[in-house]
Amino acid sequence: MTGVTRSRIPALLAGLNGPQTLGNSRLFWVLWLAGVAAFALLPCVASRYQVLTASNFFISAILALSLCLIWGFAGILSLGQAAFFGVGGYAYGIVGINLIEATGESGAALVVGALAPALLAAAVGALMFYSRLKGVYVAILMLVVSLLLGLFMRQTADPAYAIGGAYLGGMNGLGPATASDPSIPNLTLGFGELVAEFDGRGRSFYWLALGALVAVYLGLRWLVNSSFGYLLVAVREDERRTETFGYDVRLIQLGAFCISAALAGLAGALYTAWGTYIHPDGFSVGPNILVVIWVAVGGRKDLTSVVVATLSLSWISIELATWGEISLLVLGVILVAAMLVAPEGVFATLGAWFGRLMVRSRRRPAPPPTAAAKLGAAR
Amino acid sequence: MSAPILEVRDVHKVYGGVRALNGLSLSVAAGEIHCVVGPNGAGKSTFFKTLIGVERPTTGQVFYKGQEVTKLPAFRRARLGLSVKFQNISAFGELTALQNLFVPLRRNHRKADIPARASAVLARVGLAGVEDTPVRQLSHGQQQWLSIGLSIAAEPDLLLLDEPAAGLSSEETARTAELIRELNRSGMTVVVIEHDMGFIRSLRARTSVLHYGRLFAQGGFDEIATNEDVRRIYLGAA
Repeated sequence: MTGVTRSRIPALLAGLNGPQTLGNSRLFWVLWLAGVAAFALLPCVASRYQVLTASNFFISAILALSLCLIWGFAGILSLGQAAFFGVGGYAYGIVGINLIEATGESGAALVVGALAPALLAAAVGALMFYSRLKGVYVAILMLVVSLLLGLFMRQTADPAYAIGGAYLGGMNGLGPATASDPSIPNLTLGFGELVAEFDGRGRSFYWLALGALVAVYLGLRWLVNSSFGYLLVAVREDERRTETFGYDVRLIQLGAFCISAALAGLAGALYTAWGTYIHPDGFSVGPNILVVIWVAVGGRKDLTSVVVATLSLSWISIELATWGEISLLVLGVILVAAMLVAPEGVFATLGAWFGRLMVRSRRRPAPPPTAAAKLGAAR
Repeated sequence: MSAPILEVRDVHKVYGGVRALNGLSLSVAAGEIHCVVGPNGAGKSTFFKTLIGVERPTTGQVFYKGQEVTKLPAFRRARLGLSVKFQNISAFGELTALQNLFVPLRRNHRKADIPARASAVLARVGLAGVEDTPVRQLSHGQQQWLSIGLSIAAEPDLLLLDEPAAGLSSEETARTAELIRELNRSGMTVVVIEHDMGFIRSLRARTSVLHYGRLFAQGGFDEIATNEDVRRIYLGAA
């Protein structure tokens, strides 16, 4: 490594590190890189089924991160995060079916998959935050929004519910309107001659999903340690106080809510592209609660913990599924035990504990960078 | 006396059947320290909330620097230079003192300038050297001063303090009074809402007494302290 790159790395990391994230040390980033590298190499050793399943785990982790942003950092618990996931999924499918033959790619569908839920969040969020709706009411309202969307989508079996070549399909899920229309396309990115198709069952999609997760994770690390991140935490800690500093708290909440919805929508779009399938069951209570569980068990105030928890819990539930009936019971026991032992999240607690251990184990600890230096460096 | 920086005119506030404010009119001159006292239930807290914009009066008007602000939300009033410290300690416990100051300072300053600004604010409230201490590890008095520091970080024209001496030792109370006088000398108008007459005594400022949601008496501290009617309502409330 040359001296130049060596000096650039801390500058690159400075924006990603800060008081809002656990794991800011060099050791953490070395382990992080090793983890990402291990995942990147997994398709070389894993079976086709394992690669397919892991791709879905990455998508779940993006969804969990979207909830982590609003719940953990802005203090807004939503029990309807799957609504944005579902809307993103449907939006990808509808746009993809209509455009794939004309343009030969579905990148625009992916973008609409993220934008459509952000618009929905802007509308619902404006109503909620500008009427000063708070706490449990936001959580319940969002669940109701999700359930209503599911209810509507279930009733779209009539062939009249077609948008161009896409037929909403009611309980059967989204599909082509006529035999001549294409089905939900694979994710196909590129321009003109340079087009790559990512088959949800293949390695390429796996790497794409992993890349998306890494990008979302790093982007959120930067966001929560930025000025905006400080404001989010200030709003979470004391909404009224933050307002008296001259900030329009409603706007901050709305901004976070829309970003969160866009990320959930991105996850939904990727999910639809992964399975080339989207169904109204995604809007029901189960998926909504599952996201909350991932975030709560990991530790809602830390991004890394949420990713680790989502990947672990998803893997455990797949493993347990082979046990048959008892699997749900075992999973339930694990979750209850986790919540009791570490109410702030298993991985966040472990991370904080490990951090203290590292500090103590250094004989002559180097003084940690002062907050002043961090603030200055984080520009 | 100079023009009022803050004025409330015939303000009523009704919660359900309770009249918390009942035709209160009061004005604060620019550049003064103005204390607002009253027994429990006199309407001090409601008065405070209508000033900062957390509550809107049922009827009546609030003026700040001659402009009507009755319907302005709290964040807009803050942008006009009206700052506030709540009764409870309202610093963010998980963050360090410097990180706390980042929140009010960020609105008007570049990120690179903030550490120096923050240190200056901390020095001003007598907290030099605690920049990197998590707020939770500060003493109660230090947290109160940090809380005042957060309120003055944006260099307001008017500072509203709700019970700044609550829970402080006598030495800390004296330091708080000195801090308030110092802020006032630098040009800030300060309104202190307080239950404790002892603390008001140390400020020796113009004092308004609220009772049953109205202005009951007003004058210099000595005048108020020797007012028989004021003594009666205080003893009556005790």
